[in-house]
Amino acid sequence: MTPRYSAPRDLVGVTAALADGDGVVVGGGTMVVPDMTHGRTRAAALVDLSRAGLAGVTAGADGVVVGAMTTYTDLVEAGVPLLSSVATGITGGPQIRNRGTAGGSACYANPASDVPACLVALDARMRLASAGGKREVPAAGFFLGGFRTARRPDEVLAEVVLPQLGNALLGYVKFKLAESSWPIVTAATVAVPGTALRVVVGGAAAVPVVVAVDRPSAGSGDPAWRDHVREAVHTALDAAEPWSDVLAPAAYRRRIAPAIAARSAAHALEEDR
Amino acid sequence: MTGMRLTVNGVDREIDVDPSTLLVHAIREQVGLTGTHVGCLTGDCGACTVVLDGRTAKSCSVLALSADGSAVETVESLADGDELHPVQRAFWDGFAFQCGFCLPGMLLTAKELLDSTPEPDDAQILAAINGNLCRCTGYNTIVSAVRQASGCARTCAKETPCQES
Repeated sequence: MTPRYSAPRDLVGVTAALADGDGVVVGGGTMVVPDMTHGRTRAAALVDLSRAGLAGVTAGADGVVVGAMTTYTDLVEAGVPLLSSVATGITGGPQIRNRGTAGGSACYANPASDVPACLVALDARMRLASAGGKREVPAAGFFLGGFRTARRPDEVLAEVVLPQLGNALLGYVKFKLAESSWPIVTAATVAVPGTALRVVVGGAAAVPVVVAVDRPSAGSGDPAWRDHVREAVHTALDAAEPWSDVLAPAAYRRRIAPAIAARSAAHALEEDR
Repeated sequence: MTGMRLTVNGVDREIDVDPSTLLVHAIREQVGLTGTHVGCLTGDCGACTVVLDGRTAKSCSVLALSADGSAVETVESLADGDELHPVQRAFWDGFAFQCGFCLPGMLLTAKELLDSTPEPDDAQILAAINGNLCRCTGYNTIVSAVRQASGCARTCAKETPCQES
């Protein structure tokens, strides 16, 4: 069946087009278009965001606002904490980074993608819009499971708000076995001076998992600290839904997650020169 | 079918597409330029790379209608008649393709790199082509060709190849 197609000129038009609840949102298209090609997504209506004016990064009083259609390339150029460096490493080459968006990746919610854990680590707020109004959902509550989010079918992600991080140090490490592969496990670390490290592990469970990790007193190679990280990560994973995909089973992800978390913490702390 | 406009390699075209028509199919079947290849249709291989409004894109992952009114450059835009573009010349001279399937994507991605970074190091070259798969696995000659096509190569005497950067 041929889907209906619209490319609304503004957010009001987008929410009107989605009001029936049967629309598939097309952002950068890098995930949803191949999914349609291969029959994994069937759309009665396509709502194309490319003309709705949702791209751009602006600094406001309550943080940095990233429009949903801001591409990874735009993010690199804008210099957004953590997300810009993550954007440079998004799988798929410059062609994908020129089209794909962090907002789209969040809404697609592949557990193994880079963006979800980063947004949770940054305490991002997801601004959703529908014909009935707008609401904000914290990133920690946005990801409900593999490929499932709090976005309703009649809603569009309009913006992502990244709160001010002050003088926090940031780290990000991902593990994958081939350049063109999805990540298998990711870890984003936010180190606010004087507090425990906040490490968010992605890919090891169906949703990002937040782990509080003590700062290493004898360096990140200290076996005692490594034991602490392993215990903290495994305790957090025990409370979460496991995740497997074609690249790795859940047990493998659980096994390597502490090492990736420790590397991410070390990556953040190494910036503290 | 819906009418749309594309400027392809500088020529304005009006074509009719279905809402689910991919840009790569519109370019090949409606516009009639078959240099842009259909590979994986998943956004992985990069054989369908075109330049869309100034930036490279994988045209299998773009709905044709999303490109309505846009300017598209394909691999056919590179050569001037029989005169190869310097990037094409470097690939030709360096035996940097075997079956040629990945070639349109490799060329356009390399050109985008060199337009912004005229003298890339090998790490930058590898990063630029990491969304282009060569299933003949001829990556070494591809990297050499991009290096050869760079401003660095063109400004260095061949007897003393530039080892900088």
